Amino acid sequence: MGGKTGKHTPIFFLFLLPVMLAFTIIIVVPLIMGVYYSFTDWNAVPGTPINWVGLENYFVMFSDVSFLHSFLVTVAFSLVCILLINFIAFMFALLVTAKLKFAGVYRAGFFLPNLIGGIVLGYIWFFIFNNAITAIGSTVGSDFLAMSFLGNRFTSLFAMIIVTTWQMAGYIMMIYVAAIQSVPASLLEAAQIDGAKYHQRLRYILMPLIAPAFTITLFLTLVNSFRMFDVNFALTAGGPSGLFMGQALWTTELLALNIFNTAHRFNDFAQGQARAIIFFIALMTISLIQVYFNKRKEIEM
Amino acid sequence: MKLRKIFALLLAATMMFVLIAACATDTADPTPPATDAGNGETAAPPVAPPAGNGEITIVNNKVEIHGALSEFGRLYYELTGVYVDVQSFGGETPYAPALSAMFAAGTEPEIFVFEGIAGYNDARGAGRVFDLSGQPWLADTDLAYISPTDGTPVGFPVNIEGWGLAYNRRILAEVGIDTSTLTNVNAIRAALEAVYAQKDALGLDAVVTITAGAGMEWVTGLHGVNAYLSLGLDYEDTSIIDMLLAGEVDTDRLTAFAEYYHMLFQFADQAILTTGGYDASIAQFALENSAFLHQGNWVDPVFADLGVHFEMGYIPHAFFAHDTPGIFVGAPSWYMVNARADNIEAALDFLNFMASSPEGHHYMAIASGQVPAFRSVALQPEGPLSVAVMEWSGRGQIYAWHQNEMPDGFGMGTLGPIFALLADGTIGVTEFVDMFTAAVSELG
Repeated sequence: MGGKTGKHTPIFFLFLLPVMLAFTIIIVVPLIMGVYYSFTDWNAVPGTPINWVGLENYFVMFSDVSFLHSFLVTVAFSLVCILLINFIAFMFALLVTAKLKFAGVYRAGFFLPNLIGGIVLGYIWFFIFNNAITAIGSTVGSDFLAMSFLGNRFTSLFAMIIVTTWQMAGYIMMIYVAAIQSVPASLLEAAQIDGAKYHQRLRYILMPLIAPAFTITLFLTLVNSFRMFDVNFALTAGGPSGLFMGQALWTTELLALNIFNTAHRFNDFAQGQARAIIFFIALMTISLIQVYFNKRKEIEM
Repeated sequence: MKLRKIFALLLAATMMFVLIAACATDTADPTPPATDAGNGETAAPPVAPPAGNGEITIVNNKVEIHGALSEFGRLYYELTGVYVDVQSFGGETPYAPALSAMFAAGTEPEIFVFEGIAGYNDARGAGRVFDLSGQPWLADTDLAYISPTDGTPVGFPVNIEGWGLAYNRRILAEVGIDTSTLTNVNAIRAALEAVYAQKDALGLDAVVTITAGAGMEWVTGLHGVNAYLSLGLDYEDTSIIDMLLAGEVDTDRLTAFAEYYHMLFQFADQAILTTGGYDASIAQFALENSAFLHQGNWVDPVFADLGVHFEMGYIPHAFFAHDTPGIFVGAPSWYMVNARADNIEAALDFLNFMASSPEGHHYMAIASGQVPAFRSVALQPEGPLSVAVMEWSGRGQIYAWHQNEMPDGFGMGTLGPIFALLADGTIGVTEFVDMFTAAVSELG
């Protein structure tokens, strides 16, 4: 068996079968069902009849101020997270790949927060922001620190950015570390001998050579911050409240939490499903654009 | 080459087998594995059901009473030969999705818990509601769930719960306040001010512990709003909730209500009010750092864990200038007998045994530590707030629960953020009333 004919034997398809089966059951079928449910009044209770309602869920969604607000906050949150996480992760990667004493210890230390689940992290930081930092603030007499970060809409979002960065930077750092280590030392040495300064070597040799890593890390940070749920749920639960277009709403409720609350709190599963579809389309579009532009920057050695 | 071919054939055969097995679930045993409580509690060791007497399954939403309910089920099995399979979901395994999953898997438990109109509607849509008219225990309780569609009783009250404004008896005695007079807003304001004046001498952080932040919206958006919906009305009077569902508010009543909550917020610990969680708020009251707590008697197990021994009681959330002596008491959940289950008669017998036998009374009041919903139960629970609830309900000074009759999410999702704005001072009472009114008008 070999050559071109082998690809068309039934046995070839049998090898594909397990993967195709799993993919169909786990991804394709739920996706199609999800799209279908978003056009109905589905309430997730087995045995209840499901009625077709057309585009109603989509009209309701786009006229809901809290959904629009969530969308905007999620975009802002993602943008800051992407920049901050990648910047810090890249700095960490440069640090631990330099010939430092205890570089391995730093590497493990930076990576460790990533091993703690988001819900647990959320509760830990909830305590830190609400009790530890405020206690320090009142001791040193700083009014800014004595107020919980979670009590103000801007500092509360910033608190979530801090926790997300703290959690993800170590993981992204590992990708940068692997990429940096695969760059041949001879190239950097040659540049050094030619008189290139450190920042020049970084800018013109190292960064172009690890461009594929940027494609991956930007994709991962984009997708992970856009989909953020667990830290949001455990740390701020959407709080504090605020006014937006004249309506009271939870100001740090990101999209995933908004979808969750729509489905489980307002018990409107079809509406939640419709929001999830829009969420999926938006995220897919943004990440495809990002990968397309990043790919163009990659170079072959 | 040959080896590879054999391997490929083997693999293909395996795949075929998997496919056949996957398509053949219909012939498999339809009963799901007897899963235990979501938090890892173990159920009673499976005793084989004897032939003839049958088996019933009861799905419970409180993991903390799983042990007591299983024990009661085992006792029932010894007495009657009917095996009771208790399945509990809660804590880390949310109840509603777990129950949905059971239904989706084709399992129809004889008895399951529902928590009000949403659960009732789901069950009705799926044809699971069984009419409980004529059951003997109905005469012994006022809190059976009555179908809003046809007025028949369809739910057996699991227990009752209640809340008012809990107070620390010692602190109020030291300040010299007669709590029996705190049944109108002027008396309550005077009491709050009197405690506030001696706050430092008493070693208090705040006068009142109340939470309104994200994650705690249920305190204000559900329990708080219920004061607006039922304070001072007859237990059967649904006029205010009916108005709300029609998109209207009683502005005078709402203003008095808003002023009362605004007052509570002003006497509260601001950090706990705006960003505090459940544990922090309970701890403040439990450590005697505040004199009042806005919570119901479900806090009792936490007090027991914390080793709290001081005496406490309830005063009403009396927001009017005239007296409204009464706290909010109702049944938080009911057992529904599943019309699609096999063993309905056995399920009815089991519930009747629970409501009428000494063993059932002991289970409800002592073993599970709840406040039973049946008048004939003479036993008293141990929790200090549960005792306070029984005091008020024993005197018949109770107002109804209507908060669960609001549309899903309206209390917590829509009104919760408005309360939070009042709490952190972004808006005042006038804006609160306006925003509340605007939100309600959307319901019309």
